Amino acid sequence: MNYIQNLILDNHDLTNEKLENILSAACPKNIDFADLYFQYTNSEGWQLEDGIVKSGSSNIDSGVGIRSVAGDKSGFAYSNNFNYENLISAAKTSKCIVKSGQSREIQLGNSKNIRKLYNSVSPLDFKTDDIKVKFLKDIDKYVRDKDDRVEQVIVSLAGTYDSILILNTDGIKAFDDRPLVRFSVMVILKVGDRRERGSSGGGGRYSYDEIIDTKFAYEFADEAIRQAAVNLQAEDGKAGSMTVVLGPGWPGVLLHEAIGHGLEGDFNRKKTSAFSDLIGKQVASSQCTIVDDGTISKRRGSLSVDDEGCETKCNTLIENGILKGYMQDKINAKLMNVSPTGNGRRESYACLPMPRMTNTFMLPGEFNPSEIIESVKDGIYAVNFSGGQVDITNGQFVFTASEAYLIENGKVTKPIKGMTLIGNGPEVLKKVSMVGNDLKLDDGVGTCGKDGQSVPVGVGQPTLKIDEITVGGTQV
Amino acid sequence: MSSNGNNILIYKDRLEGIYKDLNKKYSHEFNLSVSNGYTVTSRSAEVENIEYHEDMALNITVYNDFKKGNASTNNLSSENIIKTIEKAENISQNTQADNCQGLPESNFTEKQWDNLGIYYPKDLEVENVIEMTKDCEAEAFKADKRISNSEGSTFSFSKNSHMILNTNGAYGAYNSTDYSLSCIALAEENKLMERDYWYSSSRDFKKLEEGSSIGKKAAERVLSRLGARTLKTQVCPVLFSPEMSASIISNFLSAINGSAIYKKSSFLLDKINEKIFPDFVNICEEPLLVNGPATRPYDSEGVLTENKNIIDNGILKTYLLDTYSSRKLKMDCTGNGVLTNITMNSSEPLVSDIISTLKNGIYITDMMGSGANTLTGDYSRGAFGYLVENGEIQYPVTEITVASNLSQMFQNIVALGDDIDLRNRIRTGSLLIDNITIGGTN
Repeated sequence: MNYIQNLILDNHDLTNEKLENILSAACPKNIDFADLYFQYTNSEGWQLEDGIVKSGSSNIDSGVGIRSVAGDKSGFAYSNNFNYENLISAAKTSKCIVKSGQSREIQLGNSKNIRKLYNSVSPLDFKTDDIKVKFLKDIDKYVRDKDDRVEQVIVSLAGTYDSILILNTDGIKAFDDRPLVRFSVMVILKVGDRRERGSSGGGGRYSYDEIIDTKFAYEFADEAIRQAAVNLQAEDGKAGSMTVVLGPGWPGVLLHEAIGHGLEGDFNRKKTSAFSDLIGKQVASSQCTIVDDGTISKRRGSLSVDDEGCETKCNTLIENGILKGYMQDKINAKLMNVSPTGNGRRESYACLPMPRMTNTFMLPGEFNPSEIIESVKDGIYAVNFSGGQVDITNGQFVFTASEAYLIENGKVTKPIKGMTLIGNGPEVLKKVSMVGNDLKLDDGVGTCGKDGQSVPVGVGQPTLKIDEITVGGTQV
Repeated sequence: MSSNGNNILIYKDRLEGIYKDLNKKYSHEFNLSVSNGYTVTSRSAEVENIEYHEDMALNITVYNDFKKGNASTNNLSSENIIKTIEKAENISQNTQADNCQGLPESNFTEKQWDNLGIYYPKDLEVENVIEMTKDCEAEAFKADKRISNSEGSTFSFSKNSHMILNTNGAYGAYNSTDYSLSCIALAEENKLMERDYWYSSSRDFKKLEEGSSIGKKAAERVLSRLGARTLKTQVCPVLFSPEMSASIISNFLSAINGSAIYKKSSFLLDKINEKIFPDFVNICEEPLLVNGPATRPYDSEGVLTENKNIIDNGILKTYLLDTYSSRKLKMDCTGNGVLTNITMNSSEPLVSDIISTLKNGIYITDMMGSGANTLTGDYSRGAFGYLVENGEIQYPVTEITVASNLSQMFQNIVALGDDIDLRNRIRTGSLLIDNITIGGTN
């Protein structure tokens, strides 16, 4: 169900006519566009550490963001108080971006029937608290029984249900209800004085039953133990430029950092990205085709509509190495004279929307993963990462491996300690010489930050080989 | 742009009204934050965004025979506050007992705090703020014709109030203000672009750096990045700028946080009274610094904050403990439910010309990525900086990595500069650290 209608609109007697008046107040004649973003978010989290479920937390946040846009200028105000007079005054604050202007009539359409990529059911209503607590205890016991080197286990379960309503001066009225759950497990193993960590987890836009009533969580627990055990054996790695093979799935954080951010419309409209003006140019090897797809059912990065009421799409960013297009929100699409791509996203009602990624991944190529490994005489095989960062202007990006191995004479040998890899976005994908046939999407734990706003995203890729990239080990 | 009082005290009456009817079976803590303000950005000589902020958050923690529940809301009607209390109480019925949990027993705040030197409200006209950001950006463009573009100049202001109440009798409230002005400039040469920024921040508008000076520094910084080259892989001494040094010290502070210690997830476990840094290094916490970016009279649980030496002549004197972690570790609580202002100091004179002390090595001014592992101390991050030869900066260097282990990096600190960054909650000058691995070309 959508909470906006009963808990906000009905409770505060916000009729269609009043909503139209608020939009009108935010959009006098010299303003191009205005929108309202109502949000009611109910979230909770449970965490087990040191063997007990010590605390749980619950949060309810609601508010409305009001935006007025004129050309490339935005005025913005928000409020947690849904009283009509208060919203009219917030709308007047929002239009401050222009000095004055006559008011105009706004007419809202009927609410838009949107394609649903997930169910309108709150995960929070699904399982009772005692079941969630027992579930976390079961996972903790499972991990501790399985390995006697366990020093610490931290298990957490979190769920959110986000009800939103988007109204704008184009007449759009779009409701969306967004469930999101996430499970994670971190294990520290200890041998002698050495402690190492392994972490794993997953989630998506569904309910707790897909985690609690399946083997899902136990597989992640196994994975966390396995990673920590590998890291206990890891030796110091080398520093310098070398051949790197990236495993499938989560290492797709490469694409998110190396090219994803640089292809966001705002940076390209302002020409502050290293990818500005490169549409139609070769920016990757011809084996690389990369998409941003917000339409995959139930995935963490997916949205039925973006935060400006546009349906999400599967957008091809790079096709056979050629740059095809950028990711856009409404403002930047209009200023660049292209269509919005369904990438207008915001962290909450309290933030302005901007172009953001959804699920960004590379399509499969023709090689078997084993062929790719065998082709490397001396290099690194990196299979897990803890995150990354990019400077979109010079294209420099990093991503940090948390599980990696040496490749010696075509074979994966010793594990090496985690390290940061650094490269240049517009250059690195030109050095991709083999793309595997094993496309895998990540397990649903990614969060992307931009200008202080966090949004859930997904990444993915097949196994791939980069001929040369700088690796930050300690040995020379 | 008015800056009326946040009127947090009306909520005190409301919460105290609710107090009388609270279920005595539980103990309760209320943490309330209210903040309002605005952000103005100008770009390409025109205003780009004006954003008004108004945030409220009430966080309620309840303890039920050593079982804990937590709930928060941004709707502060009496009816909703009562619902939120019930939600926290319900959660506490399902969590497990841990006898280290509970409200602080002593040493807590019992008053409203004034005159902390962090609250300087000022009414500013929106037109003047816009002009200030335009002037700031214009100064960057004026500096050099290679300044080709900008991400604009941003001014932000917020006025914050905080209040805590608990059923053991703690009460605290204080106000603060934050002002900042920044500029991001882009420069282009040979079709390659770089970006860099400069900012000023203060509790007091009067102490902000002039916009013209900020724009100029942003321009100087980005111009100095043009023409960056890569470097050969090597082990050498590295000078970390004050901003980068603060990030290294923040890794140290995370590793001595009580929660990392009791979870046994720190490379500084069981290191109290051991030598972590060279003899000349001292690190202290000063919670009540006037105009301090992290000044607070009490922590997140209402425990009074206090001055303390964390590192004394290189030796670790204390962990940073809140009530729970102190009970768990059987140590005294240090009022570190939050971390306040940290100062890095030296018992030797601070070095005024630290680049000549470096002599030959790399001066790192920017790092990227999350490669600091506080469980093992392993450190590996992407970096940008300058090659230094014979005490002089030669040229910018890019696409390099910086790697070592934090334990070794702390021990290998050779000198501390006098270029202390007063904007940061961690006040430190440049740190010169020996034996760092730089990854680059072969």
